[in-house]
Amino acid sequence: MVFDPYTWRKDFPILNRILPNGKPLVYLDNSATTQKPSCVIDAMSRYYSEYNSNVHRAVHTLSSEATDAYEGARKMIADWFGLTDGNLLFTSGTTEAINLVAHSWGRANLSKGDAIVLTEMEHHSDIVPWQMLAEEVGVEIRWVPFDKENFQLDMGAFEISLEGAKLVCCIHTSNVLGIRNPIEEIITLAHNVGARVLIDAAQAAPHDRIGISELGADFVAVSAHKMSGPTGIGALFVNTETLTEMKPFLGGGDMIREVFLDHSTYQEGSFKFEAGTPKIAEAIGWAEAVKWLSNIGFESSHAHSIKLARKVADAFRSIPGMTVLGKQDNADAPLISFIHDTLHAEDMAQMLDAHGIAVRTGHHCAQPLLRSLGLASTNRASFYLYNTEEEADFLIETVQKLIERFS
Amino acid sequence: MCKKFGTGNWPPALQEIIDEFSEIEDQMERLEILFDYSEEIDELPPAEWSESTIVHGCQSEAHVKVTFSPENGFHLVGAADAKLVQGLIAVTSIGLEGLSLEEVVNFSPDFTSEMGLMNILTPSRANGFRNMLRKIKEDTKGLKE
Repeated sequence: MVFDPYTWRKDFPILNRILPNGKPLVYLDNSATTQKPSCVIDAMSRYYSEYNSNVHRAVHTLSSEATDAYEGARKMIADWFGLTDGNLLFTSGTTEAINLVAHSWGRANLSKGDAIVLTEMEHHSDIVPWQMLAEEVGVEIRWVPFDKENFQLDMGAFEISLEGAKLVCCIHTSNVLGIRNPIEEIITLAHNVGARVLIDAAQAAPHDRIGISELGADFVAVSAHKMSGPTGIGALFVNTETLTEMKPFLGGGDMIREVFLDHSTYQEGSFKFEAGTPKIAEAIGWAEAVKWLSNIGFESSHAHSIKLARKVADAFRSIPGMTVLGKQDNADAPLISFIHDTLHAEDMAQMLDAHGIAVRTGHHCAQPLLRSLGLASTNRASFYLYNTEEEADFLIETVQKLIERFS
Repeated sequence: MCKKFGTGNWPPALQEIIDEFSEIEDQMERLEILFDYSEEIDELPPAEWSESTIVHGCQSEAHVKVTFSPENGFHLVGAADAKLVQGLIAVTSIGLEGLSLEEVVNFSPDFTSEMGLMNILTPSRANGFRNMLRKIKEDTKGLKE
């Protein structure tokens, strides 16, 4: 069945917005964050207007309702991600999830001389926490390069880097290139040498039905806001064996069992890592997003968005002086990073904005990746299930016009 | 005698540019004109870009250099890798051309708001513009009449 974006588009009030310059919004910055359907906005509003209360440890009605909704959300999100055996720890997003691993697992299990393997494709969120740890405890960071022509990770170099490695951290799908990495092979090879594996799935979750337990990584980090959910919440999925190797990260609030003057004891499982009042409305909103997404054929919606991305990429590749990154293959994220030789990325973005088109500009929090390609910044157009062919055509037409006029 | 330039009292060349911009409603048209002004600057060649000319806090790379002669007064040269930024430098250079050092140091930044540019520039670019003007004024304080 052909996917019809208009069926789902009507659930997003923001997509009808007319900007202050009088232009209708063409939102193509979905890799940064997707828009939220009305049901997500309503669910969060309903929590605040009808049963706002802190969760756990209270016996009044509102707290029971909030606790049921919050823990129900955890269950629904875990089910969506195919978590049959393991733990879902709510975090503020992918960045906090990775920092949690570095602080909690890294500090307890890595020491001077141990090696961590990262790729040149990583987002800063999966680089900086490890550099901080390296500085603190003296671990070695090994970098896996990627081919600058076909954008594939150098798996030969990866295998070499694995010798004696304790941890492998890899981005599932690049936020700059859109490339989906061979994650399954990476996990298998890493586990063969006894290394733990962390997968940054922030860009994969909106487009790929990740089965966390089936995937078998030790840690998987995701963000809600890139998949129709609210900002401020994400998750770290950790298998149970690895969870036992982790020490608490933040202290206080929900993570404690008992506190004495001379020591404290901690909760078990996920709760041990969820200090303070949790992200209640956000969890409820995210669960609503997952419920909404479950009505949509994930494969057909992704096929629709990648088709749009491929169409734009093909058109841009025919423009003289234009560099287009990535391959826009079926399994990739539907995004196009592009840069023209004579029209600066910021000028391009500013003039696209004057036409109502929202794209992202800059280094996309992946400076090592861009630097390895000899670039400082690119424009990035990223698609989601509500984007239409008309919007893709309008982007192509506008970029062509701007280049003719200004380059 | 030192004049204080600001709203209602701009150098004539700058007033002409302000009038040109303020007649335009369309955001894209304003950007087009700004883009065209990028050609109107005495361009600082990339070979002369250095730590002493760079405008810090600007997302694109922008450079300015100030000079003064008793005969011709103040003169600004500059360049940027982004044309819209270079256009902003160009408009600034037209506004400041031939002024005394004191007039430059006291020059109001409000001309960009009057041109309607602050509404269409991204916050980072607006911030970059303020940094550029601050640098021009600081560098000007180091010049001698």
